[in-house]
Order: sequence, then structure tokens, then C-alpha cells
Amino acid sequence: MVSKQSEIKTMREIYKDEFSTYNPVTNIVFFLGAIILGMFFIHPVFVGVSIIVGVIYLFTLIKKRAFKELLLMLVMFIVLAAINPVFNRMGATVLFWLFGKPYTFEALIYGMTLGGMAVAILCWFACYNCIMTSDKFIYIFGRIIPSVSLILSMILRLIPNLSRKTKQISSARSCIGMAGSASSSRMEKIRNGTLVLSTLTSWALEGGIIMADSMRSRGYGTGKRTTFAKYRFDKRNWVLLIIMVILIGITIFCAVKGSTKAEYVPYFTMTWFGEFYMTLGIVCYGIFLLIPVLLTIKETIKWRIFRSKI
Amino acid sequence: MAHIQIKDLTFAYPTNEDRLVLDHVSVDIPQGQYVTLCGKSGSGKSTLLNQLKTVLTPNGKRSGEILLDGVPLDQVDLRTQAALIGYVMQDPDSQIVTDKVWHELAFGLENLGFDQRTMRTRVAEMASYFGIQGWFHKDVDELSGGQKQLLNLASIMAMQPSVLILDEPTSQLDPIAASDFLNTVRKINLELGTTIIITEHRLEDIFHASDKVVVMEKGRVIVQDSPKAVGKYLKEQSSEMFAAMPAPVRIYYGVTKGKDADTEDLSKVPLTVREGRTWLSELFDGKKILPEKETKEQEPDTKETPAIKLKDVWFKYDRDLPDILKGTTVDVPKGKIFALVGGNGTGKSTTLKAICRIVKPYRGKLLIDGKKLDSYKSADLFRGKLAMLPQDPKSLFVKTIVREELEEMLGVKEAAKYEKAVELNGSENVPLDPKIERIAKECDILHLLTTHPFDLSGGEQQRTALAKVLLTEPEILLLDEPTKGIDNFFKLQFASILKRLTDNGVTILMVSHDVEFCARYADLVGMFFDGDIITTNTPDKFFGQNSFYTTAANRMSRHLFKNAITDEDVIRRCLENLNA
Repeated sequence: MVSKQSEIKTMREIYKDEFSTYNPVTNIVFFLGAIILGMFFIHPVFVGVSIIVGVIYLFTLIKKRAFKELLLMLVMFIVLAAINPVFNRMGATVLFWLFGKPYTFEALIYGMTLGGMAVAILCWFACYNCIMTSDKFIYIFGRIIPSVSLILSMILRLIPNLSRKTKQISSARSCIGMAGSASSSRMEKIRNGTLVLSTLTSWALEGGIIMADSMRSRGYGTGKRTTFAKYRFDKRNWVLLIIMVILIGITIFCAVKGSTKAEYVPYFTMTWFGEFYMTLGIVCYGIFLLIPVLLTIKETIKWRIFRSKI
Repeated sequence: MAHIQIKDLTFAYPTNEDRLVLDHVSVDIPQGQYVTLCGKSGSGKSTLLNQLKTVLTPNGKRSGEILLDGVPLDQVDLRTQAALIGYVMQDPDSQIVTDKVWHELAFGLENLGFDQRTMRTRVAEMASYFGIQGWFHKDVDELSGGQKQLLNLASIMAMQPSVLILDEPTSQLDPIAASDFLNTVRKINLELGTTIIITEHRLEDIFHASDKVVVMEKGRVIVQDSPKAVGKYLKEQSSEMFAAMPAPVRIYYGVTKGKDADTEDLSKVPLTVREGRTWLSELFDGKKILPEKETKEQEPDTKETPAIKLKDVWFKYDRDLPDILKGTTVDVPKGKIFALVGGNGTGKSTTLKAICRIVKPYRGKLLIDGKKLDSYKSADLFRGKLAMLPQDPKSLFVKTIVREELEEMLGVKEAAKYEKAVELNGSENVPLDPKIERIAKECDILHLLTTHPFDLSGGEQQRTALAKVLLTEPEILLLDEPTKGIDNFFKLQFASILKRLTDNGVTILMVSHDVEFCARYADLVGMFFDGDIITTNTPDKFFGQNSFYTTAANRMSRHLFKNAITDEDVIRRCLENLNA
């Protein structure tokens, strides 16, 4: 069973990534930016940029394993894009008639944009999953509500514990012929399930008492509590955070000025390169999303130079 | 002034105020001493330890007092107590609070409100001292039992306590992890001068290191003195606790028979294997050792079908994972106790799982009574043929009292009938099922029938689980680490139950780390290593040939006697030679 777990562990392992060594606060600001902006910009070019950069970043993180996830996303994209025109019959350019209803170019484009947005966000979430380990997540929560971080940490330990115990109890019972067999009735199966659950409860309660003793004997609840910070917020974090905030600021400013404007009915029109705000907006947005990838590239080059000097 | 002074302490639980769990206990513990507390299960050891820390003290009637550096413990505030008095409990798993190693190390410091800088220093210091750097960022669940317990110790030492209390800290660990752990405790005592108060079942590793041994019986302290003096006292009183003494002490008194015990110089009493060897060598200096009468080699009866037969069994959890069983081959003869020994993670427990069909080997043959395992129906196999007692007896408990626990095994209808009857007439008025009565009597749990299974002591839980398993009337009984966390007296009782079972023709296959137990009670011992059984032999030959993986008695006497593995063997051979 131990080896099984370590197997799952490797599934989450990521390749050398510079951005993950930054403080969790820096990490979360980036991901919040990427995901929230990604949800608001319903403009094919912006969505396209988000997808491309997201996919590149996911590739640098998990390499080959990304193919499987991307395949799923591609299927989702096609389905979303193709289905939208079936229900949405707005738009003036009719491509063909389906079941006596018009299937329009505008609705197809809109579907593709929406599908693309969903894929982009999934992609960023996949990256988020690789970077934001439970430690980092708890650290951020701890800064907002200190007591919650401890509870989260305890829950994260409890869940795998309970599932392991469940397995242990049912195999122990099967070895004395009390687990029922494939042929046993539904009633019997339910009865067995309840029994296992009741044991699990007494077990958890007993473990809870010991844990409470262990906590109190180590001074829990005797006064003011502090939180051990595994991460430091140093100069490079400040620099990166300021850059990110500036880029996000400009992008939003441009969006307010209409850089992300796209109309789908009756005819499809959108802002295009050459318009000042659109160009500025997309460049800032692109650079912002590229930050983690750029960091990795910068670090790789740095080490190449270091090594060549030795 | 003593560091900790326990003055005339008496304690009783509110449910039974007449029964004194602690009966006028007085102990002085000077700063920096290593104190071992021993006694049978239920003698009040743990209760005494719990009194030493206010948050752990249960409600009850209490008189007398405890002084910490001259101040009554009740007047020391809880925050100071948390830092000054470290407490390590029995179960490595349950006392861990958080999910990450680094967080666990910092947990106590967080509670005490230390600032970042101090926390960082302390955590870093402890991680280095205990060699934890390598797994600092790991999930707690990835650690082995020994590592977990070491983490518990380290996270308490991070608070820099002046007293360290350990309540049977190694009972859930295998022998190698256990002695590692105890060595670390010893190192803390020697290098940091931390006062240690420890209770243990296995005294071998700590007895000789103790400055003071306190022996308890029924809530009283019967003797507190240096280890050697305690050994002598227990022998003179022919106390039951003498059986818990380390092998060299038992053999010493077994051979000298306590002759001239008063005039005898205590310094001669051996406490360690090394001292025992020297003492034996002096005793037989210049004497010729009589050769042991060759016992006739018992040829294994090859004609009889073995109860369990494994032939070239291979197993792994997944295609891409390494093999766990690598061509395991073994014959377990009928009516014998077969013990599998070997290190952690070599595949011993997996072998039991394969026999119980919890895991399925991908190659090889597995025969039960000469019939293929797969050809049995589950209902037939686990009724009257095969049963396993799990490592943790609690995994079998699903009811609120022991009686229901046993009646569950009679089947749903019968159990419901009894439950109804008990509800109507009270437990005393409903006679037990004859089968249950017989087995409960055999396992000595008749007096526990109305107790909640989780309230029983380790040994009692073990016997209750055994009774439950025996109600399936198995011909083959599998035991997974049956002596884990059980004290010597319960082990004796457990062994005699096993003996009776084999006399009735039951075959027993057990997996164990307990070398002393296997040496004494097994008929055959097999060594498991790297997914296969390397050698199989009778205990005397098996342990007689090993130099490291063997009993203390054998290690102490192997330069003189061949194949003497238990205390009795060594004592008998000594006396034969002395009287010759």
C-alpha cells in the first residue's frame, strides 16, 4: 500500500520550476490574476494567448504527462464549440441548416471562444495544482485566519488515515469470513458497511482523544499562538509582485478602455492589433502570463553560463 | 533538592473510589537521572505518569503532592508545564497532529507563541540532532513507525523540556526501530542531562542504563533502587516481576539459585549480554564443557500433506512496482507452530495476505490442505478452515460489549436473538451459547464480557480478538505480530492458549519480530529475506546458527554451549556442567 501511495505522489511531481520557489503569496496572486482575467476576457485573441501560454507552462511543469490532460481539454473544446450554435441561433451568417434551424458562423465563433476560455482556465488550474501544494495553501490560509490553517492541516492527515483504516477493517473481517461474499444480499452488504463504519467511528474517537491529549500536553490552548512560516518574503518576491501588479493594472486599464471588446451579433467584430489599447493590453497580458515560463528560461540560461565558466 | 518529588501520592477513579490505583506512592527523582518504571499491565504505571502533567491527569480522588523543583505541580502554570515536561505516548500515529514533518516539529513552539526567529533555530537544531533533514518536507504518512516515534520525540525536544516522560514508547515498533529509539533517548539523557522517566515492557535495552528502577504492583511501589539491587530484591521475594528482568539477570540467579545472596557482591550481577558472557567465562574458566547429548534429528514427515504449501509464489502490487514476494516457497506442517521472522518490508505480512486472499499472487502455487486456494469458496474457506488474527486486534471490534462481539460470530439471526434476550433479562440472566462459553473460557475473557472492547488493555483485546477468530473454528490459524505491545505475563498466557490449540491439531503460522517468543514457543522458524524464505529449522538450530538475529540468552552463552537458546536451556546446561 505504501508503494501505491508513493506512486500517486510521483504523479504530482513537477519538473524543475523556478516560479514554485517563490513565496506562496506571489504564487497565488499570479494564479488569481491568470484565472480571473481569463474568465472576464471573452475575446478570441486574449483567449488564444491565455491557452497558448497556459499549455506551454503546463508542458514545462509535467512534460509528457500533459498530453493526456490536453487531449481531454481538446475534446471538451470541440464539444463546447460545436454545440453552442445548436442552441444559440443568433447571428446573420448562416453556415447550414440543422434540423430546420440555422447554424450560424457567429454562434460558432462565440462557442469556440467560450470553449477556449474553459480550456484556458482548466489549464491554469492544472498548473495551479502543480505549484500550490497543501503546505502553500495552508500557509496562505494561515495568514488570513490562523486557526483554520491548523484545522486544514489536521483534516489533510485525517482523510487518508480513515481510508487506510477502512481497508484494514474490511480485510480483517474478510479473514474471519465476516465480510460477506459476492453472493451476499444487499441487506447483508448494508449491514456489513454499517458495522465497518461504526468501528471506524470508535477508532476515530479514540484517536481523537489521544490527539487532544498530545495537543494539550504540548501547550495547545495555553495562550497566544504563533504560526511557523516556512516561506520567507524576500526582495525577489517584492520585485516580482510589483511587476505583476503593474502588468495586471495596465491590462485592466486597457480592458476598461475597450481593448477586449468583441461583438458577436448580428455580425462578428472585434478589436484588432493596431488599435493602441488593444495592442498594449494584449502585450501586457501576454507578458504577465509568461512570467513563470520566462523565470524558468532565465534560470536555465543563468546555469548554462555558470557551468560554462567552471 | 530533587528535581521531581512525588510525596505520598494516592489516587482513585471517581467510578470506584475504594480501589486505589495509586497507593501512597513516594518517589524522588534527582535532576538528570534515568528512571525506569516497570510493573505488570494495570499496576498503575501509566496512571502515575499521567499525574506528572496536569493536563493529562484524569479526574478522581487524589491526595499527596508532586513537586517540580520544589514547587507543587498544581501551581506551575500550564504553559510552563507544556515546555518543561515532555510527554511521549505509546501510539506513534495518534499523537501526531499535523500532516507535515516540519509542521509537527514546530507545533509545540507555535502553541507557546515563540517568534519566527526562535522557531526557525529550534526546528533546525532538532532536525539536525535527530537526523530528520532528509525527510523534513515529507508527509507524515510516508514515514515508518520508527520515524514517526522519533518525530514525536524531536517535536517535544524542540520545546527544550527538563523532564522527558515516555509511556511505553516502543511497544508498537519493531525491535530494530525500538532499540534505535531507546538509544536516542539515552543519548538525550547523557548529552543534554534531561531527566528521563520511562516505562517499557522490554527491559533488555533500558535496564542496564537506568540509574533507578521503580517496580510497581497493584498501585504500590514495591521497590525502588539501582537495577542490580532491584534484580536481587525481586528474586528474594520471588516476585512475578522477576520474569520481566533481562536474560542475564535471570540466568545469573537461575544458576546461583540465590545461594549466599546476602553476602554476595552485587557488582557481579550481569546486566548486559557482554557482562553475562564475561561472568559465564569466569564461571567455567579452565573447566571442560560437556558436549550436549545429541537429540535425535526428527525427520520431517514428507508423506503427510502440509497444511499450507506455497510454491514459487510471486507478487507485486502493480505491474510497474517492484516484486514483494519473489518465488516464496514454504511447507507448513499440520499441527505445528510455524514462525516467520525477518526484517520490516521483506514480505512476511504479504505472505499472510496472499494466504488469506487479500492479495493475489500473479505466479506460483498456493495449496491449503493439498487443495488449490482458488478452488475454495470464501464461505467454506473462512468457516472452519482458515482464519487470521490481524496485527491490530481493534480492527475486529464492531460492537459495544465483548459479549455481542462474540455472539456476532454465530450469525445474524442467533446474534439478534441473544441481543434481544439480554436486553429483556439483563446479561447475567441469559446463559452464554455453549460454544462461546468454551472459547471465552479458553481465552480467559469470561470476566470481560460486559466491557467495551476499546476499554480493554492490550493483552485483553488480543485475547478477545483471538476468541472471535477461534469461533470460526479454524484448522489453520494465521497470526500477524501477535505479541506486539503485550507484556510478558500476557505473552505467557497467550502462548499457553496457542499450545492448547496445536495439541488439538490446529496449525499456526505466525509472523513475528519477537525473537524470544519464537525461540520459546515455535516448533519451526523460517527466516524471511528479500521476498523469500531463506532457511527453515527448529528454533534451537535456527537461532543457534545465527549470531545477531537470536535471543539474548544464546548470545550470552554461545561461546560455551551449542544451541542453548532459552534461559532454561542455558541454566540447565550451566548446572549440568557445574555439578559434573
